[in-house]
Amino acid sequence: MQLATDSAKEVKKQKKRNWKRWSIHLFPIPALLIYGLFVVYPLFAALTYSFFDWNGMVRGDFVGLKNFKDLFTLEPFSGYFWNAFGHNILYFVLQMIFQNGLAFALAYIIFKKIRGAEFLKISYFLPRLLSVIVVGFLWKLILNPNYGALNVLLEKIGLGHLQEAWLGDPDTALIAIILVNSWYGLGFGVLIFLAGFQSIPKELMEAGKLDGATGLAMVRRILIPLMIPSIMIMTVLTFIQSFEAFELVYAMQGSQGEPYHSTDTLAVYFYRLAFGGSTGGSTTAVGLGSALAVVLFLFISIFTGLYLKYMQKKQVDM
Amino acid sequence: MKSLKAFTFIALLAFVFILSACSSDSEAGGEGDGEGENASEDTVKLTMGSWRTEDKESYQKVIDKFQEENPNIEVEFKPSKNTEYNTILNTALKSGEGPDIIHLRPYAPGIELADNGYLEPLDDLEGLDKFPESSLAASKGSDGKQYGVPLNISTTQIFYNKKIFEELNLEEPKTWEEFMQINKTLKEEGYTPISLGTKEGWLLSLAHGMIGPAHYGANEFVDNITAGETSFTSDKFVNSIKAMDELKPYLPKNYEGLGMEDIRTMFFTGDSAMFPMGSWEIEVLREMNPDLELDFFPMPSAVGKEPTITTWVDGSYAINANSEHKEAAKKFLQFMTTEEFGKMFTEEFKMISAIPGIESEDQLVNDLGKAADENSTPYLFLVHFSGGNPSTKTTIETELQGMYLGERTPEQVAEAVQKNAESWYEPLQK
Repeated sequence: MQLATDSAKEVKKQKKRNWKRWSIHLFPIPALLIYGLFVVYPLFAALTYSFFDWNGMVRGDFVGLKNFKDLFTLEPFSGYFWNAFGHNILYFVLQMIFQNGLAFALAYIIFKKIRGAEFLKISYFLPRLLSVIVVGFLWKLILNPNYGALNVLLEKIGLGHLQEAWLGDPDTALIAIILVNSWYGLGFGVLIFLAGFQSIPKELMEAGKLDGATGLAMVRRILIPLMIPSIMIMTVLTFIQSFEAFELVYAMQGSQGEPYHSTDTLAVYFYRLAFGGSTGGSTTAVGLGSALAVVLFLFISIFTGLYLKYMQKKQVDM
Repeated sequence: MKSLKAFTFIALLAFVFILSACSSDSEAGGEGDGEGENASEDTVKLTMGSWRTEDKESYQKVIDKFQEENPNIEVEFKPSKNTEYNTILNTALKSGEGPDIIHLRPYAPGIELADNGYLEPLDDLEGLDKFPESSLAASKGSDGKQYGVPLNISTTQIFYNKKIFEELNLEEPKTWEEFMQINKTLKEEGYTPISLGTKEGWLLSLAHGMIGPAHYGANEFVDNITAGETSFTSDKFVNSIKAMDELKPYLPKNYEGLGMEDIRTMFFTGDSAMFPMGSWEIEVLREMNPDLELDFFPMPSAVGKEPTITTWVDGSYAINANSEHKEAAKKFLQFMTTEEFGKMFTEEFKMISAIPGIESEDQLVNDLGKAADENSTPYLFLVHFSGGNPSTKTTIETELQGMYLGERTPEQVAEAVQKNAESWYEPLQK
């Protein structure tokens, strides 16, 4: 008798546990719904759009891969594509150097607990609190050739000959934007790297010290290998962000990638193709735009996937 | 395995959720429509889309006037942001929605909507016959039917600072040589002669729209090029680009980094003496500096013709083909063709009404309207060449930018423009 009730209790418990286990799966539903509606669905919609001929906003005939072919071979679209692609690569490289390189050094300094480290930690992160659009507008004013703070400052310190129309000269416009973006993203990098430094076991460093490693040797032999996960994360995030670069360029230069397409990125080019220019008057090319979006998506996901796989293998090897 | 099952279950559940959400949506929509029809016996509610958020109050006054005579029709003016308007409108129209009354962008983008069947033809609308053919062309479909009622005429001309001109004893130029002489004098006296920047492409096509006709010979060239009888690589047109190049020394320092706000500021603060700009800026300039003594002159010709004002229709109003209250919307559009409306419009909006013969109480606006009546030439790239992808208008903007940056010669600019126009403009295809 006792045994029977026990087993009944057991079954009840089991059921309760089962329900608990099941109910866990219900919680992601709202998130999945939103994600499905706003991410997965548009992704597939863009894919289907890219296979059709578009007459303005009206869908025409199925044309297979023609939009993709046009994107890569038909002038002026192919020229704009490769021009923008080159800018995205430059974006990535310079972000890695200026944003991540600097962030790594700063995080190390803060980690070493120099005087005022707490203050630095906050001040690096401050730009991040502003909206990208605000950041863009602010720097647009600072870089204004005639009354912007930068040129005025140059004049005041006697370097007037260095004054430039920073955002109007194709040689400096894109670099200026990338540097602003690095300034904006610096705090985030510091945060990630600092967390990485702080998770390194103290024993390892003490052991290193006992073995006579000092300064640079310590950084190279012990800190950097152990920082691989953080470096990996920042590299991937910077890569994705560089190839999606849009808001800041749009805020500072508009949808034409002005001046003279020197600040065009793939995302800005996509916006212009799919939705038309912001200054009015341009017609739209939904098919080409969708094809570009698909290419961009594939490019980012394939490279990110390959890189992550490679780095994980490397990590295991070490 | 277990987690896979769970995932399938959740995915299915999500799918059902989405489906049910969709279907209940459409049901609700259906009911709403029914109610709308019942209510239409009493009052009809119309929505009106536009990009002129700054005109909300003025539109309300116009709407109130309309409702005095038509108490059964309620009109709600619902503008969206200028740069987002096209995207919002296109998306709404595509899903069978959108406002009943649509503020139509002039020429190619608006006509594209008509050609795609989103607009209701207006050929039987009374009052349309009083508009000149050139104004109606801004919203005439490729099928030859009229789809919009023209609202206002925009013009570009050179605004100038009277005080500076008086101080230096300068007079409004009648020929291109006089114009260049004025530039020289102003520069020698330490003023920036022409307030123009090249950072934003649209400023360049706008400036060319005004300076170009002085060199290619205004309407004669326009007629020839639209008929396919000449080309953009012809001397006349190349000269118009060269003229833009010759103005380089008279533009502000660092002009390649200056945008609209910068050049406007330079002009109303008196740093620069002349401002090649559209009529819509009159109100803005006065607000920024009420003491500014503002006047304008038409662009003097370089080839012995009359000075010209560049004009185009800036917007029209059309009816959504999917609207459920087309008759009521037609009544409102009919009202927009009346002189009563035209008068209210010029007074409230300080712009030139597209309805011929309406005088404005504002002296400057009035003078501009008169000058435009006397000798106008169309804004060639907006009126005739804003099609194509990228459009010819965008192409000339980019190429001129390249020229001002020293990367293109005027001949190369003309070639690129011709090549683009040939890619879509039938009369130029051989």
